[in-house]
Amino acid sequence: MYTVEIKNLTKNFGSIIALNNLSLNIEKGKITGLIGADGAGKTTLLRMIIGLLTPDKGEISTLGFNPVTQKNELTPHIGYMPQKFGLYEDLTVIENLTLYADLKNVPHVFDRMLEFTTLAPFQDRLAGALSGGMKQKLGLACTLLGNPDFLLLDEPSVGVDPISRRDLMKMVREMINPQTTVLWSTAYLDEAHSFDTSVVIDKGKVIYEGKPHDLAPTPQEFENKVIDLMGGYKQEPSKIAENYTLREDIKDCTVEADNLEKKYGNFYAVKNNSFCIKKGEIFGLLGPNGAGKSTSFKMMCGLAKPTNGTARIMGIDITKDPEKARSNLGYMAQKFSLYGSLTVKENLEFFASAYGIKFKNRADKVREIIEVFGLKDYANQKSEELPLGLKQRLSMACALIHNPPVLFLDEPTSGVDVLTRRDFWNHITSLAKKGVTILVTTHFMDEAEYCDRISLFYKGETISLGTPGELKNKAKAATMEETFITLIKESEGK
Amino acid sequence: MKILLALIKKEIKQILRDPSSIIIAFVLPFISIMIYMYGINLDSVKVTMGIKNDDSSPEVATLVKSFGHSKYVNSIYFDNQKDIEGAIARSKIKGAVIIPNDFSTKLARGQKADLLVITDGSEVNTANYVQSYAMAIANNWLTTSKYAASVKPPAINAEIRTWYNPDLNSHYFIVPGSIAITMTLIGILLTSLVVAREWERGTMEALLSTSVKPIHIVLGKYIPYFILGMLSLIFNIFLCVVIFQIPFRGSYCMLLLVSGLFLFTCLGIGLNISSLLKNQFLASMVAMSAGFLPALMLSGLMFPINSMPIFFQYLTRIIPPRYYVSFVESEFMAGGVNSIRLENAIFLAILGLLFFIAVYKNTSIRLEKVPQKRGTKERAVE
Repeated sequence: MYTVEIKNLTKNFGSIIALNNLSLNIEKGKITGLIGADGAGKTTLLRMIIGLLTPDKGEISTLGFNPVTQKNELTPHIGYMPQKFGLYEDLTVIENLTLYADLKNVPHVFDRMLEFTTLAPFQDRLAGALSGGMKQKLGLACTLLGNPDFLLLDEPSVGVDPISRRDLMKMVREMINPQTTVLWSTAYLDEAHSFDTSVVIDKGKVIYEGKPHDLAPTPQEFENKVIDLMGGYKQEPSKIAENYTLREDIKDCTVEADNLEKKYGNFYAVKNNSFCIKKGEIFGLLGPNGAGKSTSFKMMCGLAKPTNGTARIMGIDITKDPEKARSNLGYMAQKFSLYGSLTVKENLEFFASAYGIKFKNRADKVREIIEVFGLKDYANQKSEELPLGLKQRLSMACALIHNPPVLFLDEPTSGVDVLTRRDFWNHITSLAKKGVTILVTTHFMDEAEYCDRISLFYKGETISLGTPGELKNKAKAATMEETFITLIKESEGK
Repeated sequence: MKILLALIKKEIKQILRDPSSIIIAFVLPFISIMIYMYGINLDSVKVTMGIKNDDSSPEVATLVKSFGHSKYVNSIYFDNQKDIEGAIARSKIKGAVIIPNDFSTKLARGQKADLLVITDGSEVNTANYVQSYAMAIANNWLTTSKYAASVKPPAINAEIRTWYNPDLNSHYFIVPGSIAITMTLIGILLTSLVVAREWERGTMEALLSTSVKPIHIVLGKYIPYFILGMLSLIFNIFLCVVIFQIPFRGSYCMLLLVSGLFLFTCLGIGLNISSLLKNQFLASMVAMSAGFLPALMLSGLMFPINSMPIFFQYLTRIIPPRYYVSFVESEFMAGGVNSIRLENAIFLAILGLLFFIAVYKNTSIRLEKVPQKRGTKERAVE
C-alpha cells in the first residue's frame, strides 16, 4: 500500500531542473526520511506531492488523489509543516492553535497537544517570543491538528538543539497512529538513520530508496555511505589553509574570557564565563537554544557590552579598544551576513575595505581570495542567488580576507548539507593546524568531535569544559549527542 | 464561513498588535489635518511692506497713513532707499512703495502721477499680493482725497458673490481633502504590506496547505482593513467637523457610502501590489509612488486638474482619489449635489470592482501561478 505514487516527475524553474524524471513510491504507515544536498529538490518534491506546485511532466497520486486537479479533496487529509514553521509570530500560542483548528475545521481541544509539547505554561506567549525549539514544537502541533493521514515535515530540525530534536522525534512518533504516513526531509543523517525508510535524492533524481539499516548499521557509516552515493567526498589538502600565513607575534592565549557577564534586568544571559583558548585550538561552544551562546559571542567581538568582566583577543581588551581587538578576528555570523544584491566580488571588496586593507593591495587580495576559495565561476553573480553552500564559503572568505589569527564561527553549518559540511570542516581543521584559533558554535553533535575542547553552556553558565573524550567519559556516553543530553539533564537535576 | 471568520479574527488581532497600523489610522490623520489647518495656507495673507515718502505735502501723508490702517498690510516707514534694499534682501519686508517728490504736484495738475512699487520676484505669489494691495490702497485713497474730482468713475461695477465658501477660506476644501490622503494611506500603503508579509514569513505556504480557498484569503484581507479604514474615516470626520469646525453641508450617509466605495478601490490597489510583488519592501515603495503620490499630486487636491497638461488630465481619470476628492469637496462645501455623487460613485465602484477581480485572479491556491487552461479545468472538477 502506497501513500504516494510518483511516475516520471519533471519540474523546471526557468533553466534550472529541479526534478528530473523522478519516480518514487512512499509506503503507508511508515516514517520516510528525505535526504539530499541543498538544491537537490527536496522542498520542490514535498510541495508537488501536496499540490502547492504543479508538475511539468509526470504523474503524482497522493492518498489516491491527484494533487493537480483534486487539491481541495486532498488537503483535509494532510498536515504540512513548511521550513519556517508557518506560525504567526504576532499571535500567541493558543491563538495560533485556534486559527489552524478553524482552518482545518476541527474542535478547539488542545489540552493533550499542549501537555505533550510542554507549551501549556506558555499559552499566552506570542509565538515570536518563543525559542527555536518551542516554535518548532508549536509548528508541529498546528500541523498535527485534525490527525492528518499524511504528515510532511520540511527540515523541521534546522538550527534546533539536540534535546529539542529528540523531543520532536518523540512527539511525532507518539502523536501519530499506525496508519499515518510521515515524510520527513532532513539534513541530519543520524536522524534519517532512525527512520523506517530513507530516500536519497540528488540533482532531482532518486539515488537510493530503502531501509537505512540495509545501507549501514550505524549512523556514522550511514553518513559515509550517503556521501558515497552523492558522488563521494575526496579529502584534498585545503587550499585555503595552504594560502594562509599566520602572523608572527602570536601569544599563547589568543582568546580569553575573563568573568564575562551579561545581565538583562534581573536575568543573567551569561554569568561569570571564563576560559582561555590557545593558539591553533578549535574551541566549541555547545548548548541548547537560548543558553547564551550568541550573547557570549557578541560580547567577545565587542558587538555587545558586557555588564561585568571582559574578553581579550590577542591580549587586547575588547571593552577598552574594541576596534584594535576586532582587527585580529574574523567573524562569520549566523545566517551569513552578506549583501544579497552585491556580487561575490563586490562583497569581498566591501569586506576588504571594512577590514582596513589598503586600496592598492585590495584588488590583488580579492583576486587571490576568489581563486583560493574556488569562487571564480561565481565572481559576478549576486550573492543572494548562490546556493547555501556557496554562500557559506563566501561568508568564510569575507571573514578571512584580512588574515586574522582568530576566527569566530556562529553556527556556520546551520541548514547546510552533509557534503558541504565535510568540506567546510576540512578547511577549518587545516587552518587550525596552521595556528589559527577557532571559536565555534554548532547544533551538529558530530561536528563537536572536530573540536579540541568543548564548553557546554546552559542557562548562561558553563556546566562542563573539556575535550570531547573527557566529556563523554564524564557522561558515560558513547556519542556526543548522548553526552550533551545527559550533561544538560544532570545540570537541570541539580 | 468558519474559515473566513477565523482569518478575519486573526487579521484583526494582528492589526491591533501592530502599532504602525494604529498610528496610520488614527495618529496620522490628526497630524495631517493639523498640517493642512495650520501649515498650509493658500489664502491672501497680511504682507509686510516698506514705505518711503519723498513728497512733503500733508495730503500725501494721509496716503502713508492709509497703508498703516489697511488690514492686509503691515507697513514700515523708511527714510532712505538703501535701507529698503537691505530690508528686501533680508526678507524683512516683501516689497516697498516709494512716493516720488512730484506726486502731489502732478495730481493737483490733473496729470498722471507715478508710484514706484517694488516687489520681491523670488516669491511670485507674495509679489502679486504686494502689487495688488498697493494699487488697491492707493486707488481707494484717491477717491477720498481732495483729488477725487479728477477721477472718472468706472463704467462697470462688478458685484462679487462667492458661493459655497464666501470667506474664500482654503481650509474648507483642503482639510476635507486630507481625508482622501489618509484613506489612501490605509487603503494602499498598509494593505500593500499584508499579503507580502504572509509570503515572506512563510505563513502563506502553511495557509495554502489547509482548506483555505482564494476567496477566503481575499475577503480575509479586505474585510478587516475595510473596518479599520471606516473607523479611521469616522475619526477623520469627527476631527474635521467637531474639532476644527469645518462646515459640513452634505449628508453623512452619502459621505460614508461613497467613502466606503473609495476605500474598497484603494484596498484593491494595495492588495494587488502586495500579492503581485510578495516582498514587503518593494511593495511599500511601489505603494508609495503608485498610490500615495498620485493621490497627493494628481487628485486635484493640491493642483487643480483643469490647469494640468492634457495628458495628465486624462491620466487623473484612472486615479481613484480624483473622484473622491471631487466628491468630498463638493459634499463638504456645496452640500448634496446628486449628479456629482452619482458620477464619482459610479467611477469608484467600477474601478473598485476591477481591482477586486484582479486581486482574486492573482490569488492562487498554489505557490506558483497556474496557467489559465489548467485553472478552468480545475473549476470544472470542483
